[in-house]
Amino acid sequence: MARRKTDESGFSRRTFLKRVGATGAAAGVLGTTATAKAQGVNAVGPGAVPIQLNVNGQVHQLEVEPRVTLLDALRTRLNITGVKRVCDRGACGACTMIVDNKTIYACSTLAIEAQGKAIRTVESFTQGTVLHPVQQAFCDHDGLMCGFCTPGFVTSVVALLEKNPKPTREQALKALDGNICRCGTYVRVLEAALDPKSATGGRRG
Amino acid sequence: MADQQQTGTSPASQTATPQAPNQPPAQTGPPKFNWPPPADRALIGTSVKRLDGPGKATGKAKYTYDIVRPGMLYARLLDSPYAYARVKSIDLSAAEKLPGVKAALALKDPSKEETSRVFYQGEEVAAVAATTEEIAEDAIRLIKVDWEVLPALATIEQARRPDAPKVFPKGNFTEAALSQEGNVEEALKNSAHVIEGLYATQVQTHTSLETHGGLCEWDGDKLTAWVSTQGVHASREGVGKALGVPQADVRVITDYMGGGFGSKLGTDIQVVIAARLAKAASAPVKLMCTRKEEHLVTGNRPSAFAKVRAGVDAEGKLTGFDAETWGTGGAGQGANFPLPYQVYPVPHRRRLHTDVYINAGPQRAMRAPGHPQGCFVHEVIMDELADRLRMDPLELRLRNLPPEADNAQWGKYFKLGAEKFGWAKRHPTGDAAAGPIKRGFGCAANRWTGQGNRNTKAICEIMPDGGVVAKIGTQDIGTGTRTIVAIVAAETMGLPLEAVTAAIGDTNYPFAGGSGGSTTVGSVTSTVRAAAETARDALFAKVAPGLGVEPTMLVAKNGRIQVKNDPSKGLAWKDACKLLGTEPISAPADWQANLASVGTSGVQFADVEVDIETGITHVKRVVCVQDCGMLVDKLTAESQIIGAIIMGLGFALFENRILDRNTGIMVNPNMEWYLVPGISDVPQIDVTIVDQPTRGVVGLGEPPVISTAAAVANAVANATGARVRGLPLTPQAVLTAIEQAKAGGT
Repeated sequence: MARRKTDESGFSRRTFLKRVGATGAAAGVLGTTATAKAQGVNAVGPGAVPIQLNVNGQVHQLEVEPRVTLLDALRTRLNITGVKRVCDRGACGACTMIVDNKTIYACSTLAIEAQGKAIRTVESFTQGTVLHPVQQAFCDHDGLMCGFCTPGFVTSVVALLEKNPKPTREQALKALDGNICRCGTYVRVLEAALDPKSATGGRRG
Repeated sequence: MADQQQTGTSPASQTATPQAPNQPPAQTGPPKFNWPPPADRALIGTSVKRLDGPGKATGKAKYTYDIVRPGMLYARLLDSPYAYARVKSIDLSAAEKLPGVKAALALKDPSKEETSRVFYQGEEVAAVAATTEEIAEDAIRLIKVDWEVLPALATIEQARRPDAPKVFPKGNFTEAALSQEGNVEEALKNSAHVIEGLYATQVQTHTSLETHGGLCEWDGDKLTAWVSTQGVHASREGVGKALGVPQADVRVITDYMGGGFGSKLGTDIQVVIAARLAKAASAPVKLMCTRKEEHLVTGNRPSAFAKVRAGVDAEGKLTGFDAETWGTGGAGQGANFPLPYQVYPVPHRRRLHTDVYINAGPQRAMRAPGHPQGCFVHEVIMDELADRLRMDPLELRLRNLPPEADNAQWGKYFKLGAEKFGWAKRHPTGDAAAGPIKRGFGCAANRWTGQGNRNTKAICEIMPDGGVVAKIGTQDIGTGTRTIVAIVAAETMGLPLEAVTAAIGDTNYPFAGGSGGSTTVGSVTSTVRAAAETARDALFAKVAPGLGVEPTMLVAKNGRIQVKNDPSKGLAWKDACKLLGTEPISAPADWQANLASVGTSGVQFADVEVDIETGITHVKRVVCVQDCGMLVDKLTAESQIIGAIIMGLGFALFENRILDRNTGIMVNPNMEWYLVPGISDVPQIDVTIVDQPTRGVVGLGEPPVISTAAAVANAVANATGARVRGLPLTPQAVLTAIEQAKAGGT
């Protein structure tokens, strides 16, 4: 039973829907930018708009419709596919990324709202061919099976250890409660997270 | 997949003895191929890290969902929003006109009665391919369908009502099938105790993290399909047949796949649709199910209901077992399960089973089809009978086991597990301690066949530069198959793991069956060993003359080929391979019965705490003793067991496909309300694998999932004194049982 990660203060599907509800008018979603502006909402779209994303230290220019999630922008426009789409509504953590040092669900974050932020994905942790100690610990402890949830788990553990290099068991469980694995790798994921060698990675990416 | 266990409807696993019905014929003469003696094994039976760990941990591993081809389009499906309806017309014109849409297909034909109906929510009605997923979604919304909504059978009760509309051509339920042995009425009449009850298990969905689907690309008449499948060869056969294309023109590739648990053994309609869209659009097309579709249409474990009378004599021997059973596998699919569960033979038994069809997504094989259901019913009854006898339930089990055999070791494992678990501290049913938190212990056993597939083929190649490649058309579904193929090849050649390549996941490699029925490890290790031994012996033949010995005097060990009793006389592996000149060795082989075996046994113990004020169950510990014949990779085998127990916990406590009882619409087709276990739900898990190094290899993926729910349910009853006879053990179910027990019920 996953606990939902705290929503960022910015735009997400959830806050978006709430705001639309508050305006009380479908025009806020489907109408023109001018209509939205008249209501005091800084709206863009619905057509594609140019955006810049800073992913793993590299700035990408792309054009996406405002409805495109950060996850889909990375996966289907930039071919960054380590992060996975599984539940597509903020319940499973397979799309976990680190944005401005906080873990987020990229499936529930709009790409346009991630502009100007430092986005880090699982791809950034490896240095050359040398695995990040967390990635190495996942391999050593066999904290992965089919591997589809693994990038999300690795990212959650890296984010935890960057903030807290010596987590207790309880702290590690809390940090990983937002990620779901169906093969049942949890026992060994936890071992990897608590392996003292994992915390030697420092900040990478 | 020839394995009968895979159908989920077959009574094959109800045979009275633990031996499988299709035991391979006895060999005549000494076997051609053998495993090395246990003392000589460098890799087999040790803990070997999986080869694809780094690829998965870095995000570099490309799954079907991740693959992008030049000019690729994204496809989406229009699904039936109704559980039962007739499509009166489909109008694709607006969708086709949307800029970016390259192909659109109607998947129902309203002009004919038989092709116009949908029988469950989510059934595919139309499909589009477009340049982006967002455009494809928009296009789906522009498709106009004129529906005639029909009254759906949303529940078993509705389907069995005498006045129910006849929804399914073969009727809404099957005629009850009778199987019996002995005289059950007489046996029950003469029993010291008889218990009577209704037991039930819910519908569970596979919830594979990578959804079903594929990416199809045509090159003229030839099709390449990247498919999230448990069987590349089965997928090729099915896709070829569905499209009317020669199978020789179809290539299926599955390099990495994100979980299947039995749901990805067949031909996936999504792949066939992607291929048709790709043809129509003249571009590669990827079609992956949404999470909602994954819950609705890609299979599930059927429900099970059993009205049972079971008897025991004063000494605790089972006497008679009379069961009326039914269940639903959804639209037109069976729901059979083994009962009595054949760990505890019952001399007199009668069984009357009915499959009921409702308007819901059809079942598919799910990790040990039928077994968790049958095990739950029988193991809960074992505890109830023990209570009547005022006997330790473990003792009752020991008194009812079949004779010990290699694949029937429950007696030993129960004793070993009880020791590790601390079973002696178990209190009688109902924790008498003060306060709302009650603690309880429970146990249960499992069995599985796990025999290899005799049609498996492999090729092992040795290159003149020393390279070794084992080619086999199996696939790694997360179980570690790639790694065990390499382990066997490396062990045979006396090389380190990194020196060999496991080439799998492609129909260009020799035939291997689907990864189901726990048949994979017994299939691939046996066949790869035979191929590798053949290749190695061919190399010995090249090397022997130079060393002045017979080839049979040579061994491959520590990166060398050397004379058996004179290790100084020999060649480094690479120098030996140079003798091949320009011609690699390419050795094909078939599956060898003597390298695999049949049948596993295992037991599990659960330690729970139940809050009798909230009804919340917390599983604290699970202790498991399990065998799997000759152990190949200890590390990945342990992971399989741990994972199976966690999936079993989901079945025990949380998972439940809930349908609206008026409409047949699933109310939780997502991952926030269809609850699978999270990391904080996981207990301490203590795994003991009993290696049987002189047996052949047997599969392990399924057996440990079978008995977890039963052990947990028995522990909950031991804690609360109230028996929950249905799964999942939700807080509401536990509280209701406690109230009923107080009122003198059950």
